[in-house]
Amino acid sequence: MPFSICNSVVSFSMYTQFAVELKDVTKRYNEIVAVNNLNLTISTGEIFGLLGPNGSGKSTTLKMLLGLVQPTAGSVNVLGLDVQKQPVEVKRLVGYVPESPNIYEFLTGIEYLDFIADIYGVPTAEKKQRITEYLKALQLEGREGDMINSYSDGMKKKITLISAFLHKPKLLILDEPLNALDPRSARIVKEFLYELKMQGVTTIMSTHVLEIAQALCDRIGIMYQGQLLALGNMDELRQKASLPRSGLEDIFLRLTGTEDLRAVVEELMK
Amino acid sequence: MNWKNVLFLMQVERKSGRLLRGIKATKYRENAFLAYWPYWTAAIIGVLGGLLANYITSIVYSTAAIPSLPSLSNETLSVFVVLPTIVLVISLVFTLLQQIQLSGIKATAQVMYWLPVTWQEHTMASIFANLLGLPIGIVLGLTSGIIVFSIFNGLILQALLTALALCAAAFMASSITEILRVLQVRFVGAVYKSSGRAAIWVRFIGSLLFFIIFYILYFYLTSGFTSFLQNLTQAQSALWYIPFIWLALILSYIIKGLFLQGILFVGLSALFIAGLYYLAVLLNKRFGLYEPPAITIQKSGVYTPKTGLLGKLGFSNVEAAIIRKDLRGFTRRREVIGIFIAPIIMIIIPLMQSIGVTSGSAASQANPIFTGIIFLLPAGFMAMLLGEILIGEEGQAVWRIYASPVSPKNLVKSKYFFVTLFSTIILLISGTIGTVFYHPSAQDVIVAFLETFFVVLAVGSISLSIGFKGADFSETRRARMIRQEWSLIGVIVCAVAGAAVLAPLVPYVIASFASSFIPGLSASSFNLAISVIISGVISLAITAVFYRINIGLAQDLLRKAEV
Repeated sequence: MPFSICNSVVSFSMYTQFAVELKDVTKRYNEIVAVNNLNLTISTGEIFGLLGPNGSGKSTTLKMLLGLVQPTAGSVNVLGLDVQKQPVEVKRLVGYVPESPNIYEFLTGIEYLDFIADIYGVPTAEKKQRITEYLKALQLEGREGDMINSYSDGMKKKITLISAFLHKPKLLILDEPLNALDPRSARIVKEFLYELKMQGVTTIMSTHVLEIAQALCDRIGIMYQGQLLALGNMDELRQKASLPRSGLEDIFLRLTGTEDLRAVVEELMK
Repeated sequence: MNWKNVLFLMQVERKSGRLLRGIKATKYRENAFLAYWPYWTAAIIGVLGGLLANYITSIVYSTAAIPSLPSLSNETLSVFVVLPTIVLVISLVFTLLQQIQLSGIKATAQVMYWLPVTWQEHTMASIFANLLGLPIGIVLGLTSGIIVFSIFNGLILQALLTALALCAAAFMASSITEILRVLQVRFVGAVYKSSGRAAIWVRFIGSLLFFIIFYILYFYLTSGFTSFLQNLTQAQSALWYIPFIWLALILSYIIKGLFLQGILFVGLSALFIAGLYYLAVLLNKRFGLYEPPAITIQKSGVYTPKTGLLGKLGFSNVEAAIIRKDLRGFTRRREVIGIFIAPIIMIIIPLMQSIGVTSGSAASQANPIFTGIIFLLPAGFMAMLLGEILIGEEGQAVWRIYASPVSPKNLVKSKYFFVTLFSTIILLISGTIGTVFYHPSAQDVIVAFLETFFVVLAVGSISLSIGFKGADFSETRRARMIRQEWSLIGVIVCAVAGAAVLAPLVPYVIASFASSFIPGLSASSFNLAISVIISGVISLAITAVFYRINIGLAQDLLRKAEV
């Protein structure tokens, strides 16, 4: 199914429960405010895109959802659970892909996936079936017995993605999930995310590839300097940016106040 | 050659030393004077040493009471002559040691090959960079010392010549290290390729053997340095055909006024140094971009999960997975292979001493002290070292633990089991070797085994707490695993805990030693079994208390996880 029609396939009214709820969340690193008074709800089965320039607080927000960063103020609820009070329970239901795939490089690909499956308690028969299928789908067959330190960045990303999908999570938190992937694998992941959405799995992804966000996400949040600048589907964002027929790139640049780039390029050309 | 490029590359290498020392990279402002403190300090120590030597010799030589003193200038020059060879040996040992340390580094600070830098510049910078730190410090210290001393004694020309020879010796040593470094990378790659799936074990055993041989040679050389110097002075002229001696021979001939021979060896030395440098350039050109092949551990094909023994021992899936992961890490990560060396050296050195390899005066028969050492130290140290690094060894991949449904109990149980399992294996190995070599009585073997096991339990629990408190997950340049201050604290606390566990045995041990010269005192008057039981109780108490502390620390670590 082409991704351009995804937005219209699932009506928003089908979402009955919030998968994620952030209330007045702030995260400070000494004087730096990474996330400032963020309020956000994401519904079950939604694909939500979190966009923003570098350093806008996207990764910090994603990490707070999983308890990898503790908020300075506010509360974070994931799948009906308080992240700070029930961290292990939350983690059991979530699949996470970090921006930089730092993984145990001394393990082979198959050993790493085996480790992840055991950690999440995937039964042995299912483990075998799922790992074999994922390796085949993402074309890692033949290299699964090699140590990860010999893998390319793309292969490491594939292993990280498989490890996020392996235990059939209810919520996927993906930080730049398609970075470094070859076009075929990127397409498979996109289709797979869509299929998961149809099964009620919620996905929150951060990306700088605006075409992907536009094609794949039901709603998009644009963060800037730690705050949620805009939130909504494409039509709502167009309205907010007063750009009725524009694509996400133009909307993003307008909303973040960085649209006048011609002067910058001209300066560089001098 | 563009020397500016060489200088820039060296500066990158020097600054990367901050990462090795764990200096925070953010907001780091370098003070030009402080950045070079080891070198200024070495030079100042050299100057002070030169002044002190001059002061002492002037007092000695102005005293008429000491008849027939050898000529001061002759004695000084005989010292100058051996200095280049000493600097060469020291530089070679330290530059090689530095390369061994760097071999475990994850993100290398090697020259960026895509920059417009020639191989000649890269090699020259690499040779100089090898010398950064102690080798340059020693050259600077010695040079400033001999120059200051010579100013007062009219030997300034000879001192300047010696200083040049010292610089050449250091360069020569570093060039050899550079050649060995490049060859080692290519050789290791070839071994991996030919070993196939056994490559990981070849690497493990090869690295272990290399470290052990190197450290034994290093200990042997440093413990016998005085006799080494004496032999060197006498043997230099007889060994004229060895290029490493040529720098010393130049000095020797010129000082004796044999200029023709001196100039001949200057030419030969220059050719040799240039040859080493061009060989290093050639090897870098050929193998500098060589990437060792991937290590394949399993065959490709249909994946079949294995059912583990750990589950049958009562470990949950999560705990068993962490234990298996750590086990694989410890046989595959070069930076942690070093942890196996301390126990092995602790077994080998007493054995060598007891069979008279390193010292002729050492006892060659059964010795209760050696028996105790060989049982206690390797396993005790293993428990301490493992516990201290087992949390920090997760490194940058620690997010995987944070993001996974791992409870504090899971984490502590799996890590503590790993520490005690490995240490107990070391105890069994070292105990068997000790029993075979020293033939202790059955009672001594049982007591030594039990006491060491109790020490392992207690020290393992404590060192794991230290590991939690001082965990260092940074991997910039090399995995640090534990912060230095916590490592030191760990040594002290573990030593105290070990002493506390062994304390109930003290009356028995004292009585055993003193019974031969104190009539009426007998070791048998102390009930050994009760002492061992008390030791066990102390050990279990310490273990239980620190196990609970560890759960709290793990909870803290997982709750405050900041990736």
